[in-house]
Amino acid sequence: MVCALGIEGSANKIGVGIIRDGEVLANVRRTYVTPPGEGFLPKETAAHHRDFIHQLIKQALKESQLQPKDLDVICYTKGPGMAPPLLIGAIVARTLSLLWEIPLLGVNHCIGHIEMGRLITGAVNPIVLYVSGGNTQVIAYSNKRYRIFGETIDIAVGNCLDRFARIIKLSNDPSPGYNIEQLAKCGKNYIKLPYVVKGMDVSFSGILSHIEDLADPSKRRNKRKKAEITVEEPEYTKEDLCYSLQETIFAMLVEITERAMAHCESNEVLIVGGVGCNERLQEMMRIMCEERGGKLFAIDERYCIDNGLMIAHAGAEMFRSGTRMSFEDSFVTQRYRTDEVLVTWRDD
Amino acid sequence: MQPSTDSGSDEHTENKATEATLKIPFETAKSAEIAYRVLSVDKEPRRNFVKKDLTLVGDQIEVHFVADQVKNLRTAITSFFGALLLCTDTIKEFELKNSDNDNAGAHASANSA
Repeated sequence: MVCALGIEGSANKIGVGIIRDGEVLANVRRTYVTPPGEGFLPKETAAHHRDFIHQLIKQALKESQLQPKDLDVICYTKGPGMAPPLLIGAIVARTLSLLWEIPLLGVNHCIGHIEMGRLITGAVNPIVLYVSGGNTQVIAYSNKRYRIFGETIDIAVGNCLDRFARIIKLSNDPSPGYNIEQLAKCGKNYIKLPYVVKGMDVSFSGILSHIEDLADPSKRRNKRKKAEITVEEPEYTKEDLCYSLQETIFAMLVEITERAMAHCESNEVLIVGGVGCNERLQEMMRIMCEERGGKLFAIDERYCIDNGLMIAHAGAEMFRSGTRMSFEDSFVTQRYRTDEVLVTWRDD
Repeated sequence: MQPSTDSGSDEHTENKATEATLKIPFETAKSAEIAYRVLSVDKEPRRNFVKKDLTLVGDQIEVHFVADQVKNLRTAITSFFGALLLCTDTIKEFELKNSDNDNAGAHASANSA
C-alpha cells in the first residue's frame, strides 16, 4: 500500500494530488492565465506558483483527510519543463520531505501523463500519443522503456495552437486550445495548409508561419512584396482558420499514430497531455481506430491537463517497485526524455 | 611559446572577483539544517560564472558567493533569496507540531525523535 503526494509545476499549471493504491484522494490545480495575445514567461509563472503552492497542499491534505504521517512518499516533477516553475515544486517537496521525514522521489513529467492515462482508462499496453504545449510524442512500451517512435522536430502541437491563439487574440481562459476548439466548431470552409509529416516525425513551425500570414498579412516579414498583397488577399474568418488548423495538424498526428500501431501490431491508442482533451482530436483518432478494429482510450481534462495526481501516481508506482532517490539528486532538469526512465514497475 | 606561464595566470586584472557572504540565522538548528540541505541541491547555472558555497554553522547558514561580475552576483543572490524564502515559508506553514507530548511542560522529552 503506497500513499503518495505529488506536486506538479513544470509549465503554467501548479497542481497537487494525493493517491493511495490507485484511489484518487485529492487533485487540485491552479492555472496561470495570461491576457489575450500574451504567453506565459518563466519568471512570472514561477511567481504565480509560489503564491498558490502552499494553499494547494493544504487543500489537498484537507480533501484527502490525511495527516502528513499517513504519506509514504512525496513526489515532484523533475523535468522536462521550465526551470523556474519546476524549482518552486522541487524546493517545497524537498522541504516537506525533510520536515515530515518522508522519502522524496523525482518524477518524469511525460511518464506521469502516461501512467495516469493507463490508470484511468485501464489500457494495458497502448500506443501513447502525448500531445501538450511542450511535447508531441508517439510512444510505445518495449523492454522496460517507453520508447519514442515519432515526435515533433520543432515546436509542440500545443505550442502551435497557443501561438496561433495569440495571433488572433483569443482568450487564454480557460486555455487557448479550448477556445480554438470552440471557434473551430463554427468553421465551414477548409483552407489548404501545409501538411508536414516526415517519416514518423511531424513539424508545426512552418504551418504556424503560414497560417500567421493568412490571419494577419500586415505582419508579413517580406515587405518587398507589399504591392502584391493589396491586390487580392482573400478574407479568412477566424472560425475557418481555427477549423483548418485543427483538421490539418490532427490529421498529421493521426497518421503517425496509425503507423506506430501498424508497426507494433497494437490495437489500443491512449491520448494524454493537454491537447488530448480536444474532442475533435479524440473523434478523428476514434474513427481511425475503429477502421482498424482498434480501441481509443481518452481522458478528460482533470487528468489530461497537467496535474499533481499524475506525478503522485507515477511516483507511487516507482516507489512500489523499489525506486529510491538520494536527497542530493533532487534537482530539476529542463531536458529529461521519456526514454531515459527505466520502467521498473511493469513486468511485461 | 613559453610553457611556463600557466601557473601565473592570476596576474590578469580580469581575475579580480567580487565576493559576498550572507549569514542567515534560524530559530532552531533543525530548521537551519533543513534549509541547508534543501538549498545545497541546486547548483549555480554554468553560464552564470558564480561560485556558491554553503556551510552550516549551528543554527546559522553561511553562503559565500564569488562572481566575476557584479551583475551576475546580484542575479545569484536574488535567486538564492527566492529559494530561501520559499523554503523558510514552507517550514513555517507545514512544521509538525509536537501534539503527542504538549500536554505536559516537559521540554526534554520533545526531542525524542
